[in-house]
Amino acid sequence: MSGGPDRFPGFDALSQVRHWDPVTADAVLARVAPPAAVKFFTDSQEACARALLNLLTGQEDGDLAVPVLEMVDARLAAGETDGWRYADMPEDGQAWRDTLAHLDADAYTRGGTPFADAARADQQAMVQAVQDLKSREWHGLPAGHVWSLWTRYACTAMYAHPAAWAEIGFAGPAYPRGYKNIGVGKLEPFEVPDARPSGDPVRDG
Amino acid sequence: MDNVRARNESAWLLPNDGSRTNHRLRRDMRRFADSDEIDLVIVGCGAGGSVLLQRLARAGWRVAALDAGPFWDPDTDWVSDEAGSHQLYWTDPRVIAGSDPVPMGSNNSGRGVGGSMVHYAGYTPRFHPSDFVTYTADGVGADWPLSYLELRPYYEQLEQELPVAGERWPWGDPHRYPYRPHPVGGNGEIFLRGADKLGITAKVGPVAIANGRFGNRPHCIYRGFCLQGCKVNAKASPLITHVPDALARGAEVRADAMVTKIAVDERTGRATGVHYVTDGVERFQRARMVAVAGYSIETPRLLLNSASRRFPDGLANDFDQVGRYLMVQGAPQTAGRFDAEVRMYKAPPPEVSSEAFYETDPAKDYKRGFSIQTVSPLPITWAEHVAAQGHWGSALREYMSDYVHWSCLGALCEFLAQPDNRVTLADEKDSYGLPVARFSYSQCDNDRALARAAQSVMEDLLRAAGADEVITIQRYAHLVGGARMAADQEHGVVDRYGRSFAVPNLYITDGSVLPTQGSANPALTIMAVAARAAHHLAAGDS
Repeated sequence: MSGGPDRFPGFDALSQVRHWDPVTADAVLARVAPPAAVKFFTDSQEACARALLNLLTGQEDGDLAVPVLEMVDARLAAGETDGWRYADMPEDGQAWRDTLAHLDADAYTRGGTPFADAARADQQAMVQAVQDLKSREWHGLPAGHVWSLWTRYACTAMYAHPAAWAEIGFAGPAYPRGYKNIGVGKLEPFEVPDARPSGDPVRDG
Repeated sequence: MDNVRARNESAWLLPNDGSRTNHRLRRDMRRFADSDEIDLVIVGCGAGGSVLLQRLARAGWRVAALDAGPFWDPDTDWVSDEAGSHQLYWTDPRVIAGSDPVPMGSNNSGRGVGGSMVHYAGYTPRFHPSDFVTYTADGVGADWPLSYLELRPYYEQLEQELPVAGERWPWGDPHRYPYRPHPVGGNGEIFLRGADKLGITAKVGPVAIANGRFGNRPHCIYRGFCLQGCKVNAKASPLITHVPDALARGAEVRADAMVTKIAVDERTGRATGVHYVTDGVERFQRARMVAVAGYSIETPRLLLNSASRRFPDGLANDFDQVGRYLMVQGAPQTAGRFDAEVRMYKAPPPEVSSEAFYETDPAKDYKRGFSIQTVSPLPITWAEHVAAQGHWGSALREYMSDYVHWSCLGALCEFLAQPDNRVTLADEKDSYGLPVARFSYSQCDNDRALARAAQSVMEDLLRAAGADEVITIQRYAHLVGGARMAADQEHGVVDRYGRSFAVPNLYITDGSVLPTQGSANPALTIMAVAARAAHHLAAGDS
């Protein structure tokens, strides 16, 4: 991996928390507190969703530990949707329950276990298969819309977390201080330059 | 600027002690009784509703604006954070359909006093004169029942009131802005560098962000969270540009009041007020006149939900025009990768734009055009851009770790108005028991050609600036239409002043009345159309 973690050695957005306004600080610090108990998912859904969300956010090895499952669960328990659903999908909560059941069904067919207990390579293959279907159907649902649901919730949770900000060099909240050094190549005193600036994953890919 | 203060004192009514809300003004606000027959009740307190409210309060009208969402206090309600800003968006359920469905929520739908302008980027370009005659000139879209010149005085007023900062503007009807352009950050620098290499004209602005103090509003601090609500009070939204003056002049803003139905007297055919729900209680506000300003989804939905014996298919819908010709701009977003650190999140997302491709080019096989602007996605929206390339898992994380090296441009393509791109009522009900909106949207060939052309220009710009790779995500931006103005009732819902053809004392004063959208962000034009309607009403022309 040419990019990945440790591109911004020593950088931690949370080190600047004393410069944030209190309302914002409360909102962000709540995300690094121990997560609330799971409310929306049933036990079997929780196991499946945890495996899926950790795969989607590259956390299957537990290297970053952003509680994506708990963050998604809290949103669904609160009915905090994006404000729309595709006409050919159920509302978000039901769509999550349905698609997790479909993943488990795929896993039973493939290896006789629930998705959460399947081998890593099998889990990856099953998730990749949904993405590869694109606009075709997966268990009667348009696979592209299922993929959109999963990745929207996963990415929104992941990149709301200060641990993920640290990994990408993003300093997070910026009020009331703002920025003084704007422009290409200009850093604030509290920002850390990329240790591998030519580590372009696109070019290397 | 002295004349601005004389006609709109909002910026001077805000506190200058570092806090952002004049609580005394809100506490002492005039409050009408439901049983008062006020002169005008306005549904929605965003770009259109707030301007109408402020203008008519100044004219001495007894006027109230009801909004479904809260009366925001930027200090306590807003955060300098992406995920924490969820409550700024209209997230009641909506169903999207058609061959090219349009996501709602954070992308285009606001909630609460100030409306979507609370979380818009801040770009406030004018429409071009050609936008008002696209049918005559190009055989596409529609002609407006009014001309650019009739709207121009209102553009000029509002550019002073917001106020707008930018370079001298060479496109459309060339004009100047009241404030000098802002300095640009990394993303703006990249755009200007690429444009210079290719000989494409690009300009800094126009943004409704104070450059210098404006009244008691402070200078921008370039923190990059424009789309999360400006905690600084530097970026204009009606919450700070029109509501304070309206309150000081005796208007009422009734927040957390969801209008559920417009009442019409079956005998006289006139609107008599609005049914609304607040704190779980159903109430009715009497009024001599009703103006709807709920934007392109909720305005048609309210009309359709206001069916009656006289209007069995929805209020003002005798000719099946309500909800139709709803437009969104195609908004492909192209990013380029640089070894240098761009850190596009530093500085406001709206910095530099080009309208060099706005007009129909006879050499092309498509009509109308597009504009190009800097957009500077924060991590969550950037993750959406990266995920759209197909990456997930550790590949997604690896791409994301490269965030500081990317510059990002967005296009606004003039997708054409079509009758079947429309709002209807779904079977599903919301928490008030009302049918939710179903928005069906499909592109036409001209739309797809525009999006391709815009993407290719953005890729050229970024490569000319030195990008080694470019990646694009297909998106939409903005909403207008859905209850358009027209010359007659067979082609639209309202006349050139926003008065409905069907009900003489029912007005629509929001983005839904626009017959075309150009390639411009619509906020300023929505405000200008509302200001023009207000001028007409105050003058007693109705």
